[in-house]
Amino acid sequence: MNKNDFLRQLENDLCGLPREDIQERINFYSEMIDDYIEEGLSEEAAVQRIGDVKEIAAQILADTPISAPDTPRKKRSTGQIVLIILGSPIWLSLAIAALAVVFSLYVSAWAVIVSLWSVFVSLISCGFAGLLYGIGLAVSGFAIPGIAMVGAALVCGGLSVFTFYGCKAVTKGAAMLTKKTALAIANRLKKKEEVRNA
Amino acid sequence: MDIQLKRGLLDVCVLAAIKDSDSYGYKIIKDMKPYIALSESTLYTILKRLELAQMLTVRTAEHGGRLRKYYRITDRGLQRIADFQNEWNEMLSIYRFVTKEDAGNE
Repeated sequence: MNKNDFLRQLENDLCGLPREDIQERINFYSEMIDDYIEEGLSEEAAVQRIGDVKEIAAQILADTPISAPDTPRKKRSTGQIVLIILGSPIWLSLAIAALAVVFSLYVSAWAVIVSLWSVFVSLISCGFAGLLYGIGLAVSGFAIPGIAMVGAALVCGGLSVFTFYGCKAVTKGAAMLTKKTALAIANRLKKKEEVRNA
Repeated sequence: MDIQLKRGLLDVCVLAAIKDSDSYGYKIIKDMKPYIALSESTLYTILKRLELAQMLTVRTAEHGGRLRKYYRITDRGLQRIADFQNEWNEMLSIYRFVTKEDAGNE
């Protein structure tokens, strides 16, 4: 990986952080790599010395707290207030619609996760129930259907192990995505607030 | 090592690295290397923290056709080093007490 690849990857992975923070990080690592090269290292070796860009970005994101904008709002003029009130039938419904879209996306993402977990729960309960029922059948004289039932139960049990790991990975991914999105939205709001106060 | 303790120690180390003359990121790491290893990312966080605490100031200067950030220690930074030396004397006497206790138990 060369210096440009490293910096571009870092910029990409840090999206969601404030623009100037990302730029400062990039300048810092760029200076470091250049200094390593100046000391006689090759570009590749210099980048390698800095470390794995994915890990670095993950660490930076983990260390960044989600901060809500808390700056006081500027006073609006009477004209603006009148406009806001008159325009409310339009912007209010648009805002509600936008919020509803975001909310529904969020809910549907988690609904998928909930349904995946319910597949897991049903598989594992099928496993247990089938095992007990199968043994019951076998003991009470129906040997062949009983054994078939036990076999089916074991298959369910095995599948449930697979779905467990799958569900875990998907849930973790969704949680990460949610945090990243929240960070991006929080920073967008903060920036707007800063612009307004400038 | 306890993470809070190490954090405080690293802060003082970086201040010590810029105590005598202004320095830049790469040089700080190089100067500290014989004593303690420090990753670039950790250094960034420390420099940021020290800047916020007004223990150092940052200026950007040109070097070989590119920009480089130089860090200079402030009076507050020097005071931090002095405080550390005092704390350390206290730590040393605690250490002596602890190790004496160990020898007594044997």
